[in-house]
Amino acid sequence: MARTLAFRLVAAVPLVFLVSLLAFGLVHLMPGSASETILGDAATPEAVAELDAELGLDRPIIEQYWNWATDAVQGDFGRSLITSRDVSDTLVERFPVTISIAMGGLVVALMIGVVGGTVAALRQGRLSDRVISLLTASGLAVPNFWVAVLLAFYFGVERDWFPAIGYVGPTESITQWIYHLILPSLALGLGSAAVIARQMRGGLLDVLDRPYIRAARAKGLRYRRVVVVHAMKNAFIPVITVVGFQASVMIGGAVLVEQIFGMPGIGVQVVGAVLSQDMPLVQGVVMVSAVIVIFMNTLIDVSYAYFDPRVRLS
Amino acid sequence: MRSILHRLVARPAGFIPLFWLAIVGFCALLPALVMTHDPNAADFGAILEGPSGEHWFGTDDFGRDTFSRVVDAARPAAMAGLQAVSISLVLGLPIGLFVGYAGGWWDRIVMRIVDAIFSLPGLILAFAIVAILGPGLTNAMYSVGFLFALRIIRLVRGMVLSVREEPFIEAARLSGAPTATVLSRYLLPNMMGPLIVQVTISFAAVLLIEAALSFLGLGVQQPDATWGSMLREARSLQRDNPWIAWPPGLAITFTVLAFNTLGDAYRDVLTEGPGGRAKAAKRGASLGLAQGTTAVSDADPADPNALLSVRNLTVTVPTSAGPAPAVRQLSFDMRPAEVVGLVGESGSGKTVSALAVAGLLPRGVTIDPSSQIHFDGEQLVGKTEADMSNVRGTGIGMIFQDPTASLNPALTVGYQLAEPLRIHHGLSKKDAIDRAVELLDRVGVNNPRQRLKDFPHQFSGGMAQRVMIAMALASEPSLIIADEPTTALDVTTQRQVLELLVELCEDLGMAMLFITHDLGVVAEVCDRAVVMYAGQAVETGDVYDLFAAPDHPYSRALLASVPLLDGDEERLVTIPGRVPGPGEQIAGCRFGARCELVHEACTTTLVELITLPRDGRSSRCLLAGASTESNP
Repeated sequence: MARTLAFRLVAAVPLVFLVSLLAFGLVHLMPGSASETILGDAATPEAVAELDAELGLDRPIIEQYWNWATDAVQGDFGRSLITSRDVSDTLVERFPVTISIAMGGLVVALMIGVVGGTVAALRQGRLSDRVISLLTASGLAVPNFWVAVLLAFYFGVERDWFPAIGYVGPTESITQWIYHLILPSLALGLGSAAVIARQMRGGLLDVLDRPYIRAARAKGLRYRRVVVVHAMKNAFIPVITVVGFQASVMIGGAVLVEQIFGMPGIGVQVVGAVLSQDMPLVQGVVMVSAVIVIFMNTLIDVSYAYFDPRVRLS
Repeated sequence: MRSILHRLVARPAGFIPLFWLAIVGFCALLPALVMTHDPNAADFGAILEGPSGEHWFGTDDFGRDTFSRVVDAARPAAMAGLQAVSISLVLGLPIGLFVGYAGGWWDRIVMRIVDAIFSLPGLILAFAIVAILGPGLTNAMYSVGFLFALRIIRLVRGMVLSVREEPFIEAARLSGAPTATVLSRYLLPNMMGPLIVQVTISFAAVLLIEAALSFLGLGVQQPDATWGSMLREARSLQRDNPWIAWPPGLAITFTVLAFNTLGDAYRDVLTEGPGGRAKAAKRGASLGLAQGTTAVSDADPADPNALLSVRNLTVTVPTSAGPAPAVRQLSFDMRPAEVVGLVGESGSGKTVSALAVAGLLPRGVTIDPSSQIHFDGEQLVGKTEADMSNVRGTGIGMIFQDPTASLNPALTVGYQLAEPLRIHHGLSKKDAIDRAVELLDRVGVNNPRQRLKDFPHQFSGGMAQRVMIAMALASEPSLIIADEPTTALDVTTQRQVLELLVELCEDLGMAMLFITHDLGVVAEVCDRAVVMYAGQAVETGDVYDLFAAPDHPYSRALLASVPLLDGDEERLVTIPGRVPGPGEQIAGCRFGARCELVHEACTTTLVELITLPRDGRSSRCLLAGASTESNP
């Protein structure tokens, strides 16, 4: 397993390289240079040229990429054009919050999605299946930030069951951490729960028709055991693929949802950076999110081996 | 195209979303006709009101009418959607077509880049593009359009790849048509369906992203409003007017839901093809069972010495024309350690009968409650699923046609083999493994202890069938049901597996119900046979007698169709015609249409099983007994 993981991680390197080209290229697609952003509209062309030289922006583009990339590999994404703060400091401080919410969302999505999809499949055509189908379709259509707004208001403000605002790190208090994550995770996870439920229902129905399920029943196994032991593991294979897609959706959604719950994640920072064209910070956020997503997908690739032995040996 | 639209509107999943989208479209085109107030007119006498006759959805902090604002926001939403989707098509379609068609390096490079961009969360990428272009709804839509262009590229490329090698494309190419012509004339029309589905669903996703960007203040700018930016404003006003967050949120949700549902419905219409459900339903003629009794079942009550005694077994299957009997009043007996063949062409109901005995009928297939299946003196019809699983676990073992598909690919063979031993025989894990090793050894799998750790895909078909047999033996059954156990195997393995089955039955004193279409196999394996045709037993008897002197014309035809090797010439006689389906009502003999000896009475008289003077034989033929003499 560890060897497979290592192999897959190495295989992901070219992808990270491509993303880095994209992130680096962003700046050069932008009208004007970083120096203009720093110096503002009143800057003289001489002052801009001078700062360009100081920042190395007059060098050949390949050299610029090389310098940026070698720094980035060491965790140095330069300084914010606006606050002059090291981008990596901001990332290290802010990203754990965003990742916590994304993870919370994924947990919610998996729990609700797997249970909902399984119930719908086992009660195919009955009332509970129809209700779940309806909820699934709605779940796919409801904007997560609206759900967040509603949850924060009705369960955080009107009834103060959960905190409507703020964040507590896991190092301070695990229970408080989870407590603060409940509403944002729900808001974030419901949409993906719908996606997973759909896949789970379809996957399970497909598997339940397979000959090996009949053969398992022929051995005299109770239906519950047949479903849990013989069907679920196989039904999970297509679900994993979907979970892989959701990892990316979760990071994007967390950036949005965390702002509604006033959580100190990367969201507010990146929106501010976008509005003020603070490219180093945008680049840093792009790179870190891409690496997280690629890493998650690698983990998911490896987990296929657990669910599908045919993958393991090939 | 026209008929597709008709079929789409004919179903609620097509009509309701279209209706909603028509409303939204109308609001976008002619908002003035719908709005009750000027959406931007402040009225400080009526701020943050709840819904009322005057303000249907209440008002905001400037006293502006929420209903009118929601209606007014339909236009930017529609424009944004159109912009983004057009951009994605303008970019995605040509690139996808080109890359898919050209293939090679172009394909590899572009798809790598697309993959790389896809590894970024969509919203983060939209952020990056807005950062370059600056905030504003149009810029936001450029970024979203770019994002969805990637999806279109993927979809179109995939479709081109799958159609490219079709003969008609090849022919067009060889005839010298220019590439552009081939693409636009031949390829594009073939992809319209999936493309429309993708575009419809893209609209939904675009609206969601637009709403998110506007919610963050990166999309539409004041004083314009979209549903997303209205939600942004609503956040701070909620405390004083909880209503205010509902209308824009519901507007987004309904519109997205409408696009998604419409896309799904369109896909359904495409895949279903013309005709579809409506016609099938109309065909539903009333179907009943042929009235009348079966001579055998009434005359012979369940045999007290029998291990398995089946009486009047009727099994109903769902068909396009409603439920229909696939097995009609089947009756037969099996004594302990007896091997009985259930023979017939496909469609004769033999497999359904076997599954009915084991209680393994698929969903929707039901046993008529008047049927009787007595196993070891116990009536099985009407038993609960839990009771039946006990019967299967301890008394009846089953072997299936396709051994590789009948083993669970995700579990080791050892686990699957030990499972019933632990559950039904209460063995410990270690004892179960030891017993599993014995069983595998017994069925002739080499190196059994090692092989227990393997997964099913590591076994050949023949070996997998041996594993299945071992699994059936695990419950120490007194009856084994083997459903065409050798059909999926190659010829040399077939013989080995058959010999193994016969040997096991003799050694362990098990009875076996052997289902096959191959009379040659019946002759080798079985003591007695029940010949089935179109859901009915048409002849039963001792295998030796039956082969020597088949009574029923169908049995004779079946015997004649066994491939025989005459020197080096193989001759195969087939029976002309086909087996009538479960729902087909036939007055008289169900085999009549294919029978060589058919005469007028056969088409009008209901034919029953007639007991022949010979020991234990019966035949469902008006000529029963008569034809036997003429046959050597």
